[in-house]
Amino acid sequence: MTPTRARSRSSGALGDREVIGTVTDTQRLEVTHLSKTFGSARVLRNIDLQIAPGELHGLVGQNGCGKSTLVKILSGIYTPDSGGSITVDGQPLALPVRPLDARAAGVAVVHQSLGLVDDRTVWENVRLGRYHAAGRFSRRIDTRAEKLAVEEVLTRLGRSLNVTDKVGSLSSQDRAAVAIARAMQDYRSGRGLIIFDESTRALTKSARAQFFDLVRGVIDSGASVLLISHQLEEVVQVTDRVTVLRDGAVVETGIPTSETDEAGLTRLMLGRHLVTHERVDTHVRDETAARVRELTVRSVREFDLDLRKGEIVGLTGLVGSGAVAVAEALGGARQARLGTLTVGGTPLDLRQRRASTEDFISAGVAYVAEDRLEQGLAAQMSVADNLTLPRVRSRGGRMRIGGAWQAEETAAMIAKLDIRPPDPRKPVGMLSGGNAQKVLLAKWLAGQPDVLVLHEPTQAVDVGARQDIIAAIREAAAGGCGVVIASVDAADLAVLCDRVIVFRDGQVTAELTGHLNQDDIIHATFGAPVEQIKKEAAG
Amino acid sequence: MSTRQQGAPGVKPAAPPPRRSPRLPGGIASRYAILVVWAAMIAVYGTTETSTFMSWGTFHSIFGSGQQPLVFMTMALLCTVCVGEFVDLSVPGVFGFAATIVPVLVVNHGWGVWPASIVAIVGSVAVGAVNAYLVVVVGVNTIVVTLGMSTFLEGIALWMSNLNTISGLPSGFSDIATEPVGGMPISFWYGVILVLAFAYILAFTPLGRHMRFVGASREVSRLSGVRVNRIRFGSFVFAGLLSGVGAVIAVAGLGSYNPTTTDTYLLPVFASVFLGTAIIETGRFNPIGTWIGIYFLNTGIFGLELTGVAPWVSDVFYGGVLVIAVTVSTVLHRRST
Repeated sequence: MTPTRARSRSSGALGDREVIGTVTDTQRLEVTHLSKTFGSARVLRNIDLQIAPGELHGLVGQNGCGKSTLVKILSGIYTPDSGGSITVDGQPLALPVRPLDARAAGVAVVHQSLGLVDDRTVWENVRLGRYHAAGRFSRRIDTRAEKLAVEEVLTRLGRSLNVTDKVGSLSSQDRAAVAIARAMQDYRSGRGLIIFDESTRALTKSARAQFFDLVRGVIDSGASVLLISHQLEEVVQVTDRVTVLRDGAVVETGIPTSETDEAGLTRLMLGRHLVTHERVDTHVRDETAARVRELTVRSVREFDLDLRKGEIVGLTGLVGSGAVAVAEALGGARQARLGTLTVGGTPLDLRQRRASTEDFISAGVAYVAEDRLEQGLAAQMSVADNLTLPRVRSRGGRMRIGGAWQAEETAAMIAKLDIRPPDPRKPVGMLSGGNAQKVLLAKWLAGQPDVLVLHEPTQAVDVGARQDIIAAIREAAAGGCGVVIASVDAADLAVLCDRVIVFRDGQVTAELTGHLNQDDIIHATFGAPVEQIKKEAAG
Repeated sequence: MSTRQQGAPGVKPAAPPPRRSPRLPGGIASRYAILVVWAAMIAVYGTTETSTFMSWGTFHSIFGSGQQPLVFMTMALLCTVCVGEFVDLSVPGVFGFAATIVPVLVVNHGWGVWPASIVAIVGSVAVGAVNAYLVVVVGVNTIVVTLGMSTFLEGIALWMSNLNTISGLPSGFSDIATEPVGGMPISFWYGVILVLAFAYILAFTPLGRHMRFVGASREVSRLSGVRVNRIRFGSFVFAGLLSGVGAVIAVAGLGSYNPTTTDTYLLPVFASVFLGTAIIETGRFNPIGTWIGIYFLNTGIFGLELTGVAPWVSDVFYGGVLVIAVTVSTVLHRRST
């Protein structure tokens, strides 16, 4: 599938774009100075965003950059901080956004999961929340009129479906069509804004082409679309302009996609970190830390890896490439279909469904999960309790955990990683993201693992915390620990790794070694015809 | 190459959002709030009903053997609540079931008290295991399983007893509950020991730490090497054991059991456990807070009954306090996270 650029089809929109920025022009959506604060964390900072009528606008950024918070403000789930404004077709929306106001203004959101009820029919899903009563005194739903209305919307989308089919029985592209029909049934021609929040994630590749055909039809009728996607290739191909978010702020807005590419967007998304780290001496020793054989998980088949002591191996790739699934399987968090991991002579069967990762931990494997507060740390428990959890049984007595080693271990880790505030009794949920991430890393480093598996270790942390985290990972490697890092952050991989393995659709497409540089990693990850980039180890 | 982020022309920059006022430390003051209310309550009753309230008899009524069943049942409920299962509705049902088995076997079937007690306790443990199997292994909703189990067991108890209060347990049996120790019946001290042991386990042992983490987040616990399902299973089984043991001691003290009274325990058990979250360790279920909650509630009811209010007041008081306590602890919890 090669979707042609939408802008080639929507020449009317192009004309409008020429006058973007002039006061006379009315934007379809205009967001100014929008901020959102949760407790002490400012997750959106002064967001400014303009979408022209008939424009397909892309919004990209890393996980946690604030994309979904912005969508939740636009759909009325979150209340923004005071001071911002949202204007649709020149009419300001009252904040917080009321769903009925948004609908009246023609703003609709298609969420990641499409929001469909599987065991209900097509027409019931499309009309959900809008059912009309049959008569003045009847509360009965006028089934016939509803069905006709839905058929009309689907026809307008150029997709004929049997409106009495159960949604659960439809193909993924038909499901997408139902979600789109629901989002755009209220449109009058020449207005409206549909926000697709990662809606293409559920679609297969061929279904995506059809999906974008639908979207183009919507654009041609004069509506605007905001497409939020992790698939940068897709964003560059189909959208007119792109806005990049990073750490809750707009990095650049309104970049015409004809003037940029995936690598350029990635660089904006990740940012050039202020502190540049030099790759320091390697600590690789000629001893095996772990051996992975025939790992088959998600799209990845029979992946082998020999990890040496002191070696830092990066796994990277786009969403769905398999790099993350490999890391999760090696950490014991995900069940694999096949494979063994041998650490220090202990073989671990990766196929088993595990009630706990106890055997991984006792074999010396530590897994630092990406999702801090779902998988990594319990927010309401204290720093000390979280930090020592994996070892309360092995280091403590059966009848008493013992306070001394806990205090000692916690104090040592707080000092080593500079965790602030240095209060072991503070609930982890009250720490900043960077400090919580340090606690998570400390929780596993304190056990002196033989193999450390990390997933996005510096995600959404500030520059200072990143530096501390990188130093701690290096120190662990210097001590002989084999490290595996799954990350999309090329800057991290470049400064940390001895080699980087690049995945695409479950296949290893490149293995970079020697002196690594950020751009090579980005090109290997996104580069369309993938070439094997191999460099000789620089001594 | 492209336009830098700029404010839209003609729009003047908005003022930064106002800083929120710093949060008040919710812990210290609220931690002992219930104790203060308790003291105030005693002072009010003490001045209005001086002659009857300020007496050793009152103290005995509040702290005496009457609350022992509640102590055991709240601790049973705490077992599952601590690991994140909020609604084990079967605790009073299991208690009533075990408390009916003992007199039925002894009085109607001529068993010895000890074999009958063992059967009652084993039965309770088995019920806990069935709950655990259905909730933890099969994955059925906890409310459905325990509500059904509770009603089922109450029915069985009514059938076994033929809807009668069965009395006539041998008098020597009551010594295990009523033997005075330090001025209080020994069953009071059983409760104290149980509560302290539970508090110790939660605070100082690896098992307790694991229970707390399972309650806080199953996935975090699983990925930290905690055997989550084993701990959840064990909690239901142990809850059954505590209900059974509590029932044997209670029935020994009473000398009889009326299975129709089982239902009346449900609300006090939940009220005390939730009230406990506002005491000592705010925002968290804890044994000592729960224990204090039991006696706090009982003081209130006893005083109200002394002042001559009709018996319905206990329902109003328990129900009202449950809602207020849960509201307070929810607000405190939200403030702390």
